[in-house]
Amino acid sequence: MNPESSSTPTQRLISRATLVSQGAEAAIYKGELHPPPIYPVPSGNRDHDSEPVLIKYRFHKQYRHPTLDASLTKSRVAGEARAIGRCLRAGVNVPGIRMVDLQEGVLAIEWINGKSVRFLLGGGAEGEEEVDEVHGDVVESEETDEAEEDPLKGYNITQDDIMQLIGTEIAKMHEADIIHGDLTTSNMMLRPPSAPDKSSELVLIDFGLAYTSTLVEDKAVDLYVLERAFASTHPASEPLFASVLKAYERQAGKDWKAISRRLDDVRLRGRKRSMVG
Amino acid sequence: MPGKMRKRSPLKAPERPYIALGLEGSANKLGAGIIKHSPDGSTEVLANVRHTYITPPGEGFLPRDTAQHHRTWALSVINDALKKANVSLHDIDCICYTKGPGMGAPLTSVALVARTLSLLYHKPLVGVNHCVGHIEMGRQITAAKNPVVLYVSGGNTQVIAYSQQCYRIFGETLDIAVGNCLDRFARVINLSNDPSPGYNIEQEAKKGKRLLPLPYATKGMDVSLSGILTSIETYTQDKRYRPDGPINDTDSDIITPQDLCFSLQETVFAMLVEITERAMAHIGSKEVLIVGGVGCNERLQEMMGIMAKERDGLVFATDERFCIDNGIMIAQAGLLSYRMGFQTSLAKSTCTQRFRTDQVHVSWRA
Repeated sequence: MNPESSSTPTQRLISRATLVSQGAEAAIYKGELHPPPIYPVPSGNRDHDSEPVLIKYRFHKQYRHPTLDASLTKSRVAGEARAIGRCLRAGVNVPGIRMVDLQEGVLAIEWINGKSVRFLLGGGAEGEEEVDEVHGDVVESEETDEAEEDPLKGYNITQDDIMQLIGTEIAKMHEADIIHGDLTTSNMMLRPPSAPDKSSELVLIDFGLAYTSTLVEDKAVDLYVLERAFASTHPASEPLFASVLKAYERQAGKDWKAISRRLDDVRLRGRKRSMVG
Repeated sequence: MPGKMRKRSPLKAPERPYIALGLEGSANKLGAGIIKHSPDGSTEVLANVRHTYITPPGEGFLPRDTAQHHRTWALSVINDALKKANVSLHDIDCICYTKGPGMGAPLTSVALVARTLSLLYHKPLVGVNHCVGHIEMGRQITAAKNPVVLYVSGGNTQVIAYSQQCYRIFGETLDIAVGNCLDRFARVINLSNDPSPGYNIEQEAKKGKRLLPLPYATKGMDVSLSGILTSIETYTQDKRYRPDGPINDTDSDIITPQDLCFSLQETVFAMLVEITERAMAHIGSKEVLIVGGVGCNERLQEMMGIMAKERDGLVFATDERFCIDNGIMIAQAGLLSYRMGFQTSLAKSTCTQRFRTDQVHVSWRA
């Protein structure tokens, strides 16, 4: 990860980019595919060149055997790119793919200018849960005067509209037999309207755990994961999630009946079975 | 409901020394341990005696025979522990035993011993969750404050973190435990069960060179191991497989049992380290504690160490005395809850094969 000694174009791209966050699986950078030229260019001429991209870099894990690590990284980057590609073809709102480098474990996708749904619903940023738990009673009192700074300002949208967008996008994705695998409100972005007459768009992100499946079971579990995420990050989320499901139902049509029935089963089952052994 | 002083430990310093006897027998190890909590806050291991039921190569331990072993050895192991600690049963404050999880027959035979002693000497009983015992002993020995715990043994594979008086399970195996996977493979290639199949796999793996492709099944923070066992077993049917090494000098494209042990460890441990790393990233912790029998494996400790170093974290692990099932950990966890006022009445002194880590109310932590 030493930027000075990097030699391939991909490594140079990363060394120019700025680190946004570091997860367990990959480091996230914001960069530009086309660097500003060294010589001066007349302004107004390089608008299309400076489009920012999000770079997801699955760096080498030292603890893993190199052979194992290389094959895992390759298949995960390819799998994520494939899932995004299928979503794009099915008309689901996902970031566009900009670059894939399987050898280096790099996937560059369109940079979404917007905020995560988690933030917009007042769930705080990721990783803040611990703080919230300690000052449990303080958080509650804050909720009453939450309206002072409305995070939804500029999006021209209500909370319920967001829920409907979520339901619709997930249903479209499931129709294409793609299972996200990690649906949470942090993995959804709201892109503000590009023009005053347009509306905000909901974009699904992070397909790192996505896979394809036609099974009702997998789709129901996908929804259940989201329901749990809602319950743990957003207090009093039942009406919100009900709205998500309603929109899902409208989009899914005849498939809804089976998925809904299975979702009820999954809820009863809970996330974990009783331990054996 | 807890008040505003949430971070203060609810466990008060003992006003006098407390001594507890712990009896463990949830699998093929029978253990008796005696622990002492002193008023100055220190904890002392007075005795930690263990006897293991070892089966011939190629065989696992069956519940009935294991229970028979525990019944045969219970008294001499307990007497040994008392002698080493130089205490009498009259000096002891409580008798702690493993309530579960584990194999039914061995559990009940040890619980019977605990109940009998309790009645004979008029000592209160404390039923202990085996997994919580491992965690508490690991915390005591390593002085880790609030680690993510990887609990890996023959019957359990869990990634655990503490939150609000409960050890929450973040990830676990979806089918068999990692120790079970290793032990069963040791049986397939006829490794000795002495001192333990996992130890012998570790030694064989050091001689392996070739990494064979195996399934890699992490699902979020969970892992699945049964498919890997099937897959590695299939390699022993491969025509390149040489159980006794190369036949002659030109025999090069071969698979040896050592290669299989090496591949199995590399793959399975990489999965475990990965889910642990996910849990650490999720809750923002920088400490890892490895407990359970598989936790003695030095390769696992090494891999975990590399991962933690990349994240600026620390790994805590213990040696075989405390990693492998033992009586002292039951005494430690039992004494902690006893000091919080917990006792198990005789009528409720049962055992259960299914007793999840997150079912225990961890009253002694803030």
